[in-house]
Amino acid sequence: MPVQVKINGIKMSAEPQETVLQVARRSGVHIPTLCHLESVESTGACRVCLVEMKLGGKTQLTTSCNAGVEDGMEIMTDTPEVQKHRAANLEMMLGRAPGSQKIRALAREYGVYESAYVPSEDPAIPGCILCELCVRVCEALGHSALAAVSRGGKKYIGTPHDKPSESCVGCGACAEKCPTRCIEMTDTKKTRTIWGQTFDFVSCETCGAPVMTVRQRTHAVETKELPEDYYTTCVACKQKNLAGRFARVGS
Amino acid sequence: MEKTYVVIPKNCTGCRTCELACSMVKSKRDEAGALGKPRIHIYPTGPQRYMQMTCLQCVDAACVKACPSKALVLNEETGAVEVDEERCVGCGLCEAACPFGHIRFDRDLGLPLKCDLCGGDPACARFCPYQALEMRP
Ligand code: SF4
Ligand code: SF4
Repeated sequence: MPVQVKINGIKMSAEPQETVLQVARRSGVHIPTLCHLESVESTGACRVCLVEMKLGGKTQLTTSCNAGVEDGMEIMTDTPEVQKHRAANLEMMLGRAPGSQKIRALAREYGVYESAYVPSEDPAIPGCILCELCVRVCEALGHSALAAVSRGGKKYIGTPHDKPSESCVGCGACAEKCPTRCIEMTDTKKTRTIWGQTFDFVSCETCGAPVMTVRQRTHAVETKELPEDYYTTCVACKQKNLAGRFARVGS
Repeated sequence: MEKTYVVIPKNCTGCRTCELACSMVKSKRDEAGALGKPRIHIYPTGPQRYMQMTCLQCVDAACVKACPSKALVLNEETGAVEVDEERCVGCGLCEAACPFGHIRFDRDLGLPLKCDLCGGDPACARFCPYQALEMRP
């Protein structure tokens, strides 16, 4: 049975399994996020999706990405209180990731241009805000090669025991989705190095450019219906070859 | 689906207005104000002959089959396969799987680029000065 909620004073009907963020976005209300993806578990780690939520006479701040809707909920997405907390969180993240364009741009929207926050110790990965989106992305892909680990009271993201992970396929998704782009990934023509491990690329049959890592292909063939021969040619050659074939047919 | 996207290579002069229109309409400018990459590409195929290459919106699409996060979805209204940016996890399998090279993973954005027919009124067709790209009933 649908539940009734109010977002910024406007009545909305929602499904009980929906989150506050989903209902808000669906109704055109903007809530910023840094560590959220619809296809991975939401944890509210970055805390920029904070909203004010009133239910049964009680008002509280809550992260909207992992808060389920309930009947009678009243949600305010942009109160001074919300703005203040988002700004404070962004200032802290900007202190940790001063080089992140994404965080800098969002912080600017909340009037934060510089950060007074200085991380208390040298981080293991400079720029990491510990949102663990990489961990969750990797998990959603079925690899689960990453985890938040703790050494000497210091929390950081890594592979188990900081050893090359057997389940990592070198797809690079963790690095692509990292909101601060702090995960080191180095590609050469033949190899990719990430998380302390070097992977061989499948080389394009036509030009030798990278297609994907060999291990990512093996995993894809095992888990998806497309056979190995789908993954032989790089994107540029595939399109160029096809243009040539079309032209021959046409003439 | 009311109209079909049609490519007419014999009318193409290789002016690449379509590529520019695509970049202008579809990409957000980066920090430096530069335009992003287009989703249509022009290839010279002979003396004064060109071929426009963009997504075929396959019914049984390899990119959709390869995507592990259900981030490529068919828009029933336009017939286009669209990227759900809120779902994509950035693995790049779609690019690797498409047999035609029509979906490209953009490492700057962490997202694949593909034609979505601009929601049914593609900019490339609107801007082509030579009727080499058209929406036909
Ligand atoms: S590169 Fe390795 S750690 Fe990163 S998402 Fe892919 S499998 Fe996981
Ligand atoms: S890059 Fe994104 S859209 Fe492409 S296959 Fe991976 S999750 Fe799907």
